[in-house]
Amino acid sequence: MTSPKIIEAENLTKVYKGKVKAVDHISFYVDEGEIFGFLGPNGAGKTTTIKMLNTLASITEGKAIVDGKDVTKNPAGVRDVIGVVPQELTADDELKGIENLLLSARLHHVPRNEAHKRAKDLLKLVDLENSAERRVKTYSGGMRRRLQLAIGLIHTPKILFLDEPTLGLDIQTRTKMWEYLSKLNKDEGITIFMTTHYLEEADSLCSRIAIIDHGAIKVSGSPSQLKEKLGGDILTIELGAGPDITDFLKGIPDVSDVTRRGQAYRIKLPKTEKALPAIVEGVTSRGLQIIEISFTKPTLDQVFLDVTGKSMRDEDAGESDSVMQNFVNERMR
Amino acid sequence: MFDETLALTNRALKKWVRNPATIFPGLFTAAFYLALFGNSFNPTNLIPTSSNGIPIPPAALAQAKAAILTTTFGGAATYITYLTAGVICLIVVFNMAFGGIDLVLDRQLGYFGTLLTAPIPRAAIYFSGVFQNLVKAMFLGVLTFVIALLIPDGLILTPSFGVLEFLGAFLAIGLLGLGLSCLFTAIALSVRTIDSLIAIVNFLNLPLIFMSNALFPSSSFPGWLKAVSDVNPISKADEAARILIVKGNPSASGQLGTVTGDLLYLVGFVVVMGALGYLVARRALRPE
Repeated sequence: MTSPKIIEAENLTKVYKGKVKAVDHISFYVDEGEIFGFLGPNGAGKTTTIKMLNTLASITEGKAIVDGKDVTKNPAGVRDVIGVVPQELTADDELKGIENLLLSARLHHVPRNEAHKRAKDLLKLVDLENSAERRVKTYSGGMRRRLQLAIGLIHTPKILFLDEPTLGLDIQTRTKMWEYLSKLNKDEGITIFMTTHYLEEADSLCSRIAIIDHGAIKVSGSPSQLKEKLGGDILTIELGAGPDITDFLKGIPDVSDVTRRGQAYRIKLPKTEKALPAIVEGVTSRGLQIIEISFTKPTLDQVFLDVTGKSMRDEDAGESDSVMQNFVNERMR
Repeated sequence: MFDETLALTNRALKKWVRNPATIFPGLFTAAFYLALFGNSFNPTNLIPTSSNGIPIPPAALAQAKAAILTTTFGGAATYITYLTAGVICLIVVFNMAFGGIDLVLDRQLGYFGTLLTAPIPRAAIYFSGVFQNLVKAMFLGVLTFVIALLIPDGLILTPSFGVLEFLGAFLAIGLLGLGLSCLFTAIALSVRTIDSLIAIVNFLNLPLIFMSNALFPSSSFPGWLKAVSDVNPISKADEAARILIVKGNPSASGQLGTVTGDLLYLVGFVVVMGALGYLVARRALRPE
């Protein structure tokens, strides 16, 4: 039995100031109860898409339905059922952790008694129960992110939008956040729509993902489906000086694609074990020296590379600017 | 909408109270204006104490000072007594104008995003901005009044000054503050950077203050400046508050009509600024 669609976007388009097309006629859906990952390079249109779905940005063209409500015609209805955890750390520094949660509860019309109970439960979930009475300005970056997540959940939303929820966190805290999100999804049935820069995060958490680039969705599906689409394993072989053997490699049965960078060949093949003997034999019979040989099972990073033409690691390097900006913003408070 | 406005106002005031660094500069400004401006620019100090080397008798000097205070400064016992209402208005204007910085920071740091995705009326964001600045400014206004009382040769109240006069004076100042808060909150919600806000605020502040009778009586202004000053809401609030502070019971001084007229003018100012500010704020809070 398939779950009903809780988010449906049809030809969703956003043009800023009549000039900059941030999102270009994208269509996708999110099933109720799933964790949906939205991946893409910087400036691909991820945050703009989230902003359109959570009513922060107007829709230039197309349509978006969230929990059966048209985002343009009934934004108030949409706000009733969503929780948003933005990229920025927006919890109030001068307020205590618990005060931030109770303020958010009040703004979402959660009854007072219920709000206190829910706040306590959430603080426990994100391991902040011992810091609840401390002002947020004394929190570390990881604690702030966890509090931010709790704030987004205080009113028990049906859908939670997470924009880079683990940005800038160390690996331990990031892993902990994944645990919280999985637990929320499983125990409370909350649908999660998230953007992330960490492909291992999308791989481990998301039931389906979409990769967006230049404002358009390039590919979507479950992580395993997308990896399968790559055509199996990737064998990388680096040779000593010699002639180009691309044509020879392409001629080997089971090899689906070969790309060459210098003397390094990147070979796509369904099963490395089957084609490897023929490749090695062909190379050695041509008198070429094998300097290095390695093979990898497909990863989301390779899917990303395949689809966008760049690795997410390159993106991470570019991301340092925004991390720095966040740091500056935090210091400004 | 009331509860959301209250919740957001409460948040802002908690932040304010917990950060004394934002309160003390306001108090310092008030004390500075009263003590330094009130003494250095006191026109009664300009009367020479001697003529051709012959000292002027103290009684004659006191008479001359009293004459200046009566004819030019509405019968105030001291220049600081005259100045107090104006300085309170000034403190209110400054606080309203720069109070918007918190709102710009909220936008820059992403807090607005959190608010705008919550199921609250947009008007609650606007009105909480208006009320938080009003409360802060009125608190500093009352403290300024107390500082004026504590300064030697400062504010000297008449025996007919009572609770009603105090409330009346702060009603006038409160209406001025409310109207200005509507204006400056709308501006703060519309700009994207603190630099833009400060540029606009400075552009508006100086003419608003110096084209009013806050620091000097408008009777001495040239005709065109007096015409502007007479319609300036700061002058109206200042006039009403000053009559009540300097003379006490306005019925006894025959100025009840002037005070009532000023208060009605200020109510009109609040209505116009409130409506205008709301329209501007609603536009500023639309989705991107």
